[in-house]
Amino acid sequence: MSNYIGKTIEELHELLVSKKVTPLELAKEVIEEIKRENTNAIETLAEKEALEFASSLNEVEEDNVFWGIPFVAKDNFATKDILTTASSDILKDYIPCFDATVIAKLKEKKAVLIAKTTLDELAMGGTGTTGHKGITYNPYDPTHTYKIGGSSCGSASIVAQGIVPFSLGSDTGDSVRKPASYAGLVGMKPSWGRISRYGLFPFAPSLDHVAYFTRTVKDAALVLNVLAGEDLSHDATSSINAVPDYLKDLEKSLNGKRIAYIKELNESIKDQPILDGMNKIKDIFVSLGASVEEVSIDLRLLAAIYPTYMIISCAEATSNNANLDGIKFGPRIGEEKTYQEVMMKARTAGFSELIKRRFVIGSYSLFKDNQEELFLRAQKIRRIVVNKVNEILSSYDAIVTPCGGIIRNPFISNDNISDKLDQGTMAIENHLAMGNFAGLPSISIPMGLDDGFPFDVNIMTKAFTESECFNIAYALESKLDLKNIYAKKVGE
Amino acid sequence: MNFEAIIGIEIHVEMKTKSKMFSSGKVSFGEEPNTCVRPLDMAFPGTMPIVNKQAVINAIRVSNALNMKIDHELWFDRKNYFYSDLPKGFQITQQARPIGSKGYVDIKLNDGSSKRIHIERLHMEEDTCMQHHMADCTLVDYNRAGTPLVEIVSEPEIRSGEEAAKYVDAIRSIVVFTEVSDGKMEEGSLRCDVNVSIRPCGSDKYGTKVEVKNLNSIANVQRAIDYEVSRQAKLLLKGIPVEQETRRFDEIKKETVMMRKKTDAVDYKYFTEPNIIPIRLSDKFVQDAIDTCPELASEKYERYISLGLSEDEANQMLQDLSMNRYFDECVKIDSSKAKLFWNWINGDILAYLNKNNLSINQFKVSPDNLLSLIIMLEKGELSFNQGRKVFENMVIDNASAIKIADELGLKQNSNVDEIQSLVDSVIDSFPQSVVDYKNGKDRAVGFLVGQIMKASKGKVNPQIANKLVVESLNKR
Repeated sequence: MSNYIGKTIEELHELLVSKKVTPLELAKEVIEEIKRENTNAIETLAEKEALEFASSLNEVEEDNVFWGIPFVAKDNFATKDILTTASSDILKDYIPCFDATVIAKLKEKKAVLIAKTTLDELAMGGTGTTGHKGITYNPYDPTHTYKIGGSSCGSASIVAQGIVPFSLGSDTGDSVRKPASYAGLVGMKPSWGRISRYGLFPFAPSLDHVAYFTRTVKDAALVLNVLAGEDLSHDATSSINAVPDYLKDLEKSLNGKRIAYIKELNESIKDQPILDGMNKIKDIFVSLGASVEEVSIDLRLLAAIYPTYMIISCAEATSNNANLDGIKFGPRIGEEKTYQEVMMKARTAGFSELIKRRFVIGSYSLFKDNQEELFLRAQKIRRIVVNKVNEILSSYDAIVTPCGGIIRNPFISNDNISDKLDQGTMAIENHLAMGNFAGLPSISIPMGLDDGFPFDVNIMTKAFTESECFNIAYALESKLDLKNIYAKKVGE
Repeated sequence: MNFEAIIGIEIHVEMKTKSKMFSSGKVSFGEEPNTCVRPLDMAFPGTMPIVNKQAVINAIRVSNALNMKIDHELWFDRKNYFYSDLPKGFQITQQARPIGSKGYVDIKLNDGSSKRIHIERLHMEEDTCMQHHMADCTLVDYNRAGTPLVEIVSEPEIRSGEEAAKYVDAIRSIVVFTEVSDGKMEEGSLRCDVNVSIRPCGSDKYGTKVEVKNLNSIANVQRAIDYEVSRQAKLLLKGIPVEQETRRFDEIKKETVMMRKKTDAVDYKYFTEPNIIPIRLSDKFVQDAIDTCPELASEKYERYISLGLSEDEANQMLQDLSMNRYFDECVKIDSSKAKLFWNWINGDILAYLNKNNLSINQFKVSPDNLLSLIIMLEKGELSFNQGRKVFENMVIDNASAIKIADELGLKQNSNVDEIQSLVDSVIDSFPQSVVDYKNGKDRAVGFLVGQIMKASKGKVNPQIANKLVVESLNKR
């Protein structure tokens, strides 16, 4: 096993600066670990590119903590000259001609991209099972019985194995923050517009966020320092708000902070250790001088988040993926006589059944005759949810919730089972999408371990108060003894 | 039975901005196929639209020229449909909130009357790519994909082919003079779709609408509509209903031919473009766009009339944009000479250009040198024929008229004293002419002036000579 497993960005930086290891040696070790990993987390290993880049890093940059740091990226970020498939057959041969802004920024900082990771096909799913390479497993579960979640399954797995200190993901409903929970990671989704989405393959742009995994809150702050900032020549929705130093407020006292728990969510928790965790955290907050109060959101509204999310995201997705039509992207099957046949054959062969179903849902809800009833109604509900969340955050500094109500989620064949679930389960398993509806900073951090299986708590704050979010997360992390956990360490 | 035609026109105008509506791709015509293409133009995954500021300025200017209400908030929508010329699988347009709404344009008809045509909306959108259909395949050129367009939709208030032609001409003049587009119908930078239906006079119900596409000149707009109106009338008189369909104009047969039957309208599944946050335009931005707008044809017309041109002359000078620019440069130097500039441009300059197959853009003579020639002629320092000679030299090396006349030794003598002495000596040499003049034979004057010109080798100002001869004869 590599000596560099489980090291944070800071720790690796010290080793690199003191020349105990070179970027090239580190990259080689990471590549070997990735070749050995057995969770099916990798789409493309960029071995040649990584070694080439790492071997060019000869001048130590003491002030640049990302110098020579290895990372992996979800395979829905465009990487110049490196295959980018979004885990979909329709893009299985696609090699972008440009780098996503986040990839370019990390390259500029001389972090080393080692591999592209698996995802639920086109990021549309939350199970880690629907990519064209099959199921991605949870490194915490050698029996391969329980999900790591998705859609950013591969990026979660590689960081949860301790192979690299951070990885890029994307979060449209909870696609980073939910797998972070199943994999005991820090999963950060900043405000909408805080990080440029240029080069992130769109799923539902009004909900899409660049997000990422680390194993410590401090590393999460370091990563945002690099990724945040306007990119108006590529992404008109990127924010021009100044980017603060996210390390600055990390250690501030929580004295006087007002924390909101959501009563209906806590009541919907199924597994006792999660409830115990929430109570423990409440005690920690109080011991740090913060106050915790329960507020209420109508359970019917919480249960409406999932269908609302489905309608909006599927509607936007059907439009965003209309470019994959076999003319420019996607397989040319052959024997086509008309352009319609080119499109039909490519899309029939290129997308899985689940994706096609979502496109149908999306199209259906956008039809002129259905828009009022479905798409526009979903927009109204989104607005009601956003107003409610912002109302709570006008009186409280943060909303703190469990990431889900169940610690272990077994693989089940039917992904569409959620519509058969009761309101409580609907609410507790899907509420993180509130953060996407409102575009708020939202961070998941480990809250507990149940017989070696991790689960996270989530902290959500007002728009563009990422510093506040990190501050609260950092204070909790320092009291929870779950900092920088990874599968092998917990296993021992 | 008499029928009334109901005609509405949708005009797509390609803007000649530097870059595309939502990408930094170059807007240019006649380039190698697929060389003016950025990742967004081909809908590469992860690319996002950035609104072209100049396109917005252009849309504001045209909206203003069409007397429209201008929305100070920009909203864009997606129009979703699959077609092989549509890279993204949707077009970004302004369905819900067009930048311009509720405007009008006044057109002048052949009988001298004028008519106001109301305009429903003007919105910005992006062009599709160009397809070239070959025998066994279709080639796709993405150079055009994403070119900024404005679409201008009239109310169905047009009643004849003539009105339609005047309307399209008015719109074309506006987009050309605001420098938004070159307005070339034959090259597709201004494209018309015409909706034609007819109904019995006096009826307030609309008939079945037929759309006519592929109209590549203003004359064809009129021809197609005239044909279509009579085709529909013949059908109805025979008791055959008009079918809802799309037709195109066949230039050779001079008739409209069926392209496709219109089945149920396509459901475009419009929704707000999520990658463009609504953009608030400040009052100042809108006002600046309007204030800095190049002068419209109608404004130029008024100015030319005030400078002393006739209506025909003013109109004539608005036909060709390059010629118009040259004229404006001349007038800018000395507006009191507008009429003389007009004469030169439409006389010797145009003749010279036509003879040598040149455009005004290739014309070497600068307005200030042209002015120097006009002034010399006006002062009588050059005879008309001498002026021509100077002009012939000027078109080669663009020197001032004074310099050329000097080099050619062409200066005309307008010195009254010197001419008077010449007049006196010539009259003395031809006493019979004095007798003839006194007997009422006016042609004696012409004879004497001719002798004076001959004696001076043509360098004497003939008007002055003429005047002095008459005065001298009267005194004798």
